[in-house]
Amino acid sequence: MSIIRNRKGFRIIEYALTFMVIITLNFALPRMMPGDPFLHYSGEVDEVITFYSREQIQYFREYYGLDRPLYEQYTSYLKDLSRGDLGFSYYYKDDVRNIIMRRLPWTLFLVISAMALSILLGIVLGSYSAWRRNKWQDKTLYAILIIFSEIPAFLVGLALLIWFGATLKLFPLAGAVTHFAQFDTWWERMLDIMHHAALPIVTLTLARTGGIYLLVRNSLGSVLTKDYMRTARAKGLKELRVKYVHALRNALMPLFTRIAIQLGALIGGAILAENVFSYPGLGVLMRNAVVVRDYPLIQGIFLVLAVGVMAANMLADLAYKYIDPRTRPAVKNHQDKIAS
Amino acid sequence: MKFKKAFLAIQNIWHSLNILGKISAIIIVLLILMAIAAPLLSWLPHDRSSGPPLIPPGLPHLMGTDDLGVDIWAMICYGSRVSLLVGLGTAFLAGLGGGIVGMLAAYKGGWFDRAVMRLIDIMIALPNLPVMIVLAAFFGPSLMNIIIVLALFSWSIPARIVRSGALSLKEQPYIKMAAHYGAGPFYLLTRHFIPELLPIVMVSMIRLAGMAIVTEASLAFLGLGDPTSRSWGLIINHAVNFRGIYFTDFWKWWLFYPWVFLTLLVTSLALLGRELERIADPRIGR
Repeated sequence: MSIIRNRKGFRIIEYALTFMVIITLNFALPRMMPGDPFLHYSGEVDEVITFYSREQIQYFREYYGLDRPLYEQYTSYLKDLSRGDLGFSYYYKDDVRNIIMRRLPWTLFLVISAMALSILLGIVLGSYSAWRRNKWQDKTLYAILIIFSEIPAFLVGLALLIWFGATLKLFPLAGAVTHFAQFDTWWERMLDIMHHAALPIVTLTLARTGGIYLLVRNSLGSVLTKDYMRTARAKGLKELRVKYVHALRNALMPLFTRIAIQLGALIGGAILAENVFSYPGLGVLMRNAVVVRDYPLIQGIFLVLAVGVMAANMLADLAYKYIDPRTRPAVKNHQDKIAS
Repeated sequence: MKFKKAFLAIQNIWHSLNILGKISAIIIVLLILMAIAAPLLSWLPHDRSSGPPLIPPGLPHLMGTDDLGVDIWAMICYGSRVSLLVGLGTAFLAGLGGGIVGMLAAYKGGWFDRAVMRLIDIMIALPNLPVMIVLAAFFGPSLMNIIIVLALFSWSIPARIVRSGALSLKEQPYIKMAAHYGAGPFYLLTRHFIPELLPIVMVSMIRLAGMAIVTEASLAFLGLGDPTSRSWGLIINHAVNFRGIYFTDFWKWWLFYPWVFLTLLVTSLALLGRELERIADPRIGR
């Protein structure tokens, strides 16, 4: 028991270290740029790069406190961060935290809907495939889903935008809500939001379903050959109960950690999908910040996304032990008591 | 003699590919040939105007022109070079670096191994694209930078494969026997470990190349690509940012053709990589 507790403590220390690495990286980036960071950019020939005036360069120097010693810069950076202060956006003339908080709900909306939909679809299709293993239904489904999951999300999004948005005119081309529209009831407003979010969510769902489908299909396939399945059938349990309670529940265990690991890729997909559909979330904000070279804002968004993904991973990792019946602590305690 | 062996090996692999894998392999070979023969395939310049702007496909502009009158077929021919350079460069760097790190982790074990494994976990969980955007924003979007950053973020996959492969090889009786008879680390490495592990690393490199090409295209699509490189992603970026592209017919060639080529290349690489993984390691997949 003590070994397990120690290892859990060790995991938490590891995650704390990970967060420190991300935060330090974020601190180091603007200071690691070759030569003088802001002079470097003001001289390059490029369409997206804005030219810095002397005052702007001076502003950034002072903003980052580049004339003070490094450890002083670092401690003041950590102090700001612990107060939840992510910096001040030069371009938007507002606190980075406020800007991010305004945009974050849209991104979360896309990511959570797409994830829920793709988990649902992946489980349904994956179990369908596993129960018809190697029949034609399984083979076609496999081929279609694999191809779809391998086409990058933003290319799928562009195709959907052109086809359903521009040609068939079924969905709006950009934005998250109809601007200046008056809605009589809240559900009309909801409908408008759903109408705008439909294509981005479908894009992300298409990109994610394949991986979950494959995992469910393979893990269910191996569960179906286990002895306890035969026992369940021999007990005379109904086929539905065998399929859903005995087989699927056990097959879904690996899904849990997999989803957390995939979250990073999903965030990346969301950034691109938002840019395809001009959806006003963090992805579009990040691109705009890059175009106008608003460094504090870029860093703030990066920090929020990276810390968010790592936190989700940590929670999944720690929660897994409670969900998996084989490592559930309560059961272990019980066994320990019996043993002693 | 060596040629015949290689030929036989390729023939063997070819026969064990499924239909999707075969189609992917053919597409990849065709696109590689296209990249090599780009100057022969396109008779118009790819970097300057050669006709009226925005004309639909026809002769001499096989796939039409963009808003500056640059031939799109020529841009696609030369763009394939950028994609393949990014893919090959990243896969090679990441495969080599990851292979060395994985081998060292397996060989040294202990705290070094634990630290490497933890680092790999972080690398896999970190959202790649935001990191790339930040790095591209701070270090400038040259093709060289993009390749190096991509390699820095993809070495973890070959490293993990090599590490687990080397750990299980280390326990093999014939390796232990060889070590017992006095084979040094270098001998074991060149005679046993590298020949055994090279195929699976190469397979993972195909997947890496695909992912690298996607990421470069994504960055270019966001406007963070190398502006001098004229990659497929950059053509798409220019097309999408053209005002009113969705209200006109221009997308039917300006956006459509680079989209088709990029999708074909990336999807083929991924599908072929998946198939080869299945062949190299029967436990994965089907």
